[in-house]
Amino acid sequence: MSADTRPARPGQDHPGQNHPGKERGALSIAGLNKSFVIGGRPRRVLEDINLTVRPGEFVSIVGASGCGKSTLLRLIVGLDADYAGDVRLDGQRISTTSLDRGIVFQDHRLFPWMTLEQNIELALLNTDTPKERRAQIVADHIALVNLKGFEKAYPHQLSGGMAQRAAIARALVTEPKLLLLDEPLGALDALTRVHVQNEIQRIWMTQRSTMVMVTHDVEEALYLGDRVVVMSPNPGRIRRIVEVDLPHPRDRRSPLLHRLKDEILAELTSGAGQGEEEPTNLVHLPNREER
Amino acid sequence: MASRPLSTPAGAGRRFSPGVMLPPLALLALWQAACLTGLFPAQVLVPPSEVARSLAAMTASGELQAHIGDSLWRLLIGFAIGAVAGLAFGSLIALSRLAETALSPLFLTLWQVPVIAFVPMMVLFLGIDEPFKIAVVAIAAFFPVALATFDGIRGVPRAWFEVARVYRTRLPDLVRRILLPATVPAVLTGLRVALTRAWVVLIAAELLAADSGIGQMMEMGRQLFRIDVVLAGVVVSGLIGFLLDRGARAIERRATRWRTA
Amino acid sequence: MTGLLSLSRAPVRFAIGLAAPVLLLLWWQWQATAHISTFAPPGAVGQAAAALIRDGTLLNDMLATLGRAFGGLFIGAPLGVATGVAMGIWRPLDRLLGPLLHGLRQVPMIGWLPLIGLWFGVGEGTELIVVSMSAFFPAMLNSHAGVAQVERRYEEVGRIYGFGTVQRIRFILLPAAMPLVLTGLTQSLAFAWIATIGTEILTGAGSGLGVTMQLAQTQQRLDIMLVTIAATALLGFVINHLFLRLRRRLLRWQPSSL
Repeated sequence: MSADTRPARPGQDHPGQNHPGKERGALSIAGLNKSFVIGGRPRRVLEDINLTVRPGEFVSIVGASGCGKSTLLRLIVGLDADYAGDVRLDGQRISTTSLDRGIVFQDHRLFPWMTLEQNIELALLNTDTPKERRAQIVADHIALVNLKGFEKAYPHQLSGGMAQRAAIARALVTEPKLLLLDEPLGALDALTRVHVQNEIQRIWMTQRSTMVMVTHDVEEALYLGDRVVVMSPNPGRIRRIVEVDLPHPRDRRSPLLHRLKDEILAELTSGAGQGEEEPTNLVHLPNREER
Repeated sequence: MASRPLSTPAGAGRRFSPGVMLPPLALLALWQAACLTGLFPAQVLVPPSEVARSLAAMTASGELQAHIGDSLWRLLIGFAIGAVAGLAFGSLIALSRLAETALSPLFLTLWQVPVIAFVPMMVLFLGIDEPFKIAVVAIAAFFPVALATFDGIRGVPRAWFEVARVYRTRLPDLVRRILLPATVPAVLTGLRVALTRAWVVLIAAELLAADSGIGQMMEMGRQLFRIDVVLAGVVVSGLIGFLLDRGARAIERRATRWRTA
Repeated sequence: MTGLLSLSRAPVRFAIGLAAPVLLLLWWQWQATAHISTFAPPGAVGQAAAALIRDGTLLNDMLATLGRAFGGLFIGAPLGVATGVAMGIWRPLDRLLGPLLHGLRQVPMIGWLPLIGLWFGVGEGTELIVVSMSAFFPAMLNSHAGVAQVERRYEEVGRIYGFGTVQRIRFILLPAAMPLVLTGLTQSLAFAWIATIGTEILTGAGSGLGVTMQLAQTQQRLDIMLVTIAATALLGFVINHLFLRLRRRLLRWQPSSL
């Protein structure tokens, strides 16, 4: 893991990574299939997934619940190595977790028994970051997510949005080549969502590490993603990949975003009729799902 | 240490698998083997086979059944008295603010005293005959039941009463459909705890002063240096405690299933 | 809404709360004067207390009982926590020891007294063993449950940051299990206390509150007995209260600890 250059100063262009010449954060998924055994019978959750993510790119994945998008992230982060096909980061096949890949879950998963500061520092435990620099690095990342002043707070003392930002700081502190975001804003209220979306965009622009975010909010996917991967359920397949050809930071009112949103929503709602689940509320009731 | 030839391995796990029995059986075999080597004199340790023989002999003579019967009879009467009193008292202080204010300080103070500390005083007042043992069991059962009943009734979420108000539920329906189902689980847990506590306290009381019962059987065994009898008592008291707990749990589970069904 | 005599006023509550004990005292006084000698009048209890305090017997007994209870606690509880945690982390150990320990647990702890008395003689050692055993089981059971039910989502965080076994135990399993471990220790404390009084009453060896209680029973001294019972209650209350404060401090990371 890198230890010299630090992130967090806006305006800085390529902070963090220190393997010059080597490719950083190029994700390639080829011919990926994944099945679970449910009730004694195998059930396919991901079918023939092919996707290449360029270094520094922000890719959003949208789809109804049950389309396997969270499973896909778990495979990429390495929590589940039982799959067929290939998932590679910078050419290396992924079979277990690694500090190269960070993840932010929908539930922040900060340890409730540690302060914000301790939680973030814990991520550095197994890096070769020198001990005396860790406090500074942690402080930088707390500043990066605008949580200065809450270093000593316990997770239950933070609001949902703050806790989620803290989780993002924890995921970033190891300077992963690839950051995975598993519906990071799924549990937040609408206003906080918008706020944290802006934060994520700002952080990504300062960090420029590769990010893959799963969401079921089409608007969010379009606002943040360079590309939006649309998935369909039963089994999970990539239905379409939409290029969002707009520079960051983006304007939410952009007509292009709205046009694309209508397109994707039409696609998600029309096609979903094949599934057994009711198609009407697939996209718009994020808080109803998975809780 | 002793293992118990008669006990089922339950309590250990949810699923029963024959493998679970292996370690205790191995230990039992080890114990038997250690005794056969003659390493321990018979006043210190007797083999499990000897304990089993004593149990069989005491069963044949009817002695064991008499002890068990006496103990269980005391437990039954004392527990019934203590539980009914606990239910009544717990409901009273839960439903009436005045009763709570008047009685709970005294109740909570007495609650601090280990029931076993009342044993000598009970002997002083009641002597060492049946009333003493029944009273001790009743006291041991009273406190957990009273507290559980109080907590159960007070723990019914306010929102449920509000729902009942919205639907203009009448009082009998309120009691039958909301209050009772909501408190039954807590009360049953309290009853189960009370039952096992009462058993422990009864054994202690019998150890101290009795002319029959499992506790007395063990104490006699100790005084006569009959380690086989003492071990038999350990086995039987453990088995009864276990069965009481299991039985109470089964009832509890059935009752709560009826509630959620 | 709030009248002068309303129940929501603290002094009123206090006065009403005092009514029951006062009535009890009056009844008791009446019993003592009207009846037999077993009923020592309340005044006699005060005198007995003063005498016991003055000649140091009470303090001596309290210290002896406390020493026994905490001696047993300090032996039994750490062993229990260690065993429970080890069983929760390492399944084979659970399989090996679980059935045995759950079997032994069924026997009322006081029920071990005759057996252990036979082995080690009626005295200090036997009492300590029984008290330690009483402290052992709640600590073991709760620690086991605490470690066994650590949420998987936290374990996954550990995997993502490359935690080794020791780190996993130290930073995830132990803190996550801490609330239940402390619940176990609270129970251990209560059980050790009860076992101490119980064994003292039953063995009557050395000094201690239970020993004095038992002695008072044979000498028909209700006054002394009540003083020792009160001392037992008071000590139990204070210890429990201190422990709850310690618990709250250790669990200050919880939203609202009990």
